[in-house]
Amino acid sequence: MNWLKFVAIPLVLSATAASAEVAVVVHPSNAASLDQAEISRLFTGRGSAFNNGSKATPLNLAESAPARAEFDTKVLGKSSSQMKAYWSKLVFTGKGTPPKELATDADVKAAVAADPGAIGYIDAAAVDATVKVVGKF
Amino acid sequence: MKTSLIAAALAASMVSGSVYADVDISGFASVVGGKVISGEGVPEFGLEPTFLANYPIVGFYEEDWSFKPDSKYGLQISADLTEGLTATAQVVGRGADDFNAEFEWAYLSYTLNEHWTLQAGKKRLPLYYYSDFFDVSYAYLWIRPAADNYTWQIFNYNGVNAQFNYQVNDWTVSGNIYTGREDDTENKLLSEFFGSQPIREIWKNIVGGVLSLNRDWLDLRFTYMTYQNERYRNGVKVTWDGDDSRRGKFAGLSANIDYNNWLVLTEFNRLTLDGGDFDTYLLSAGYRVGQWTPFVSFADFDSESEMHSTSSIGARWDFHSSAAFKVQYDDVTDDGINGQMVAGDSKAITFGIDLVF
Repeated sequence: MNWLKFVAIPLVLSATAASAEVAVVVHPSNAASLDQAEISRLFTGRGSAFNNGSKATPLNLAESAPARAEFDTKVLGKSSSQMKAYWSKLVFTGKGTPPKELATDADVKAAVAADPGAIGYIDAAAVDATVKVVGKF
Repeated sequence: MKTSLIAAALAASMVSGSVYADVDISGFASVVGGKVISGEGVPEFGLEPTFLANYPIVGFYEEDWSFKPDSKYGLQISADLTEGLTATAQVVGRGADDFNAEFEWAYLSYTLNEHWTLQAGKKRLPLYYYSDFFDVSYAYLWIRPAADNYTWQIFNYNGVNAQFNYQVNDWTVSGNIYTGREDDTENKLLSEFFGSQPIREIWKNIVGGVLSLNRDWLDLRFTYMTYQNERYRNGVKVTWDGDDSRRGKFAGLSANIDYNNWLVLTEFNRLTLDGGDFDTYLLSAGYRVGQWTPFVSFADFDSESEMHSTSSIGARWDFHSSAAFKVQYDDVTDDGINGQMVAGDSKAITFGIDLVF
């Protein structure tokens, strides 16, 4: 039953994804408070401002970064391929643009530390004083 | 091929502006093969057993394997001209049209504020739920949205569009209002499939709107559009009961649920034209198991003179982060138009890969 194996392997792979904690981070000067629903809104293009009215610039991690799948699953409640399907609908109908992607935790941290309007997420173990944690998932 | 001025202007502005503007290139493609397993065809027209998978572009399968009817590619170029202005063009080539590249979208977008965006140019008509991303198969479950629903001969328009996005408590309220026209000098469906004479199809004074309400696992969409239809057969204007134009009104409701790995997708639409109602609906259910989503689907077209439906079963497999494999079996029941079959009953198998980049 090679066919069964063919089906079973991807199922196992998707179930064994790592489960490190993800920290959602903003610029240290950003006083906005954020719950999961608000973070989800910013990262799905349904909102573009923090609850204090200032413009938010969400930053995604590339799919190769481990925290990306964690964030998609825990915070957005979707798999990375579901998110890709979601964005492809918006991108090719002129209704939205996905967040810019950065390659590593360090890149996101540097970009968030440099931009008072930025919001990103990184592996919780990579957090330091250059950014402010607004939620851990 | 019709090259609109807007498309040419956009293309020119992108080339000359690329030095200054931030240009994004993205795209999608589908490679799909399939064949009719059994079917009646329409002997009186000499039509062999046929599965009509796509009405507007006349994409159909016969008893020999074909990789053309559902295969396509698209390339989107978007130039951020800064200060809220964006120019976007999408070139699409479809197997049913021998992969000839055409500008399907070419528009300017201006972000007014956090809630409103204005667009002008050539876009797809957002009639049915899947109309405006019909070509981007990666974004939906099946190989294609059901042919029985997506039958109308006009699928683009030139005009203006205002789209909005608001957050109201836990609901995302979004949508758009649009107006424009389309003049298809040789409409493929009417000229080639439902006739043998060149037909120019005009939809003018198009006015429409879409309202979407989203919350967690629930997605509701309302759509309405009215237009004035004019038609030329062999260069001669067609009249309907003595009038050389007629008004069509399209209304639709869609409710989709994505809950605990269950997917329920529905849409119900009615076009009123010449005093008759053309009703279509689609019901699909799927269940996500890891990377696999098996599904069943039923779609129906029902008017006083035309009736056909399709039952489908299939699966989507997200085997790659940017690509999905799909396989689907379709069983079409054709009860014809005024006693004549559209393409006859058919059973067909199709499979393929959709990707985005």
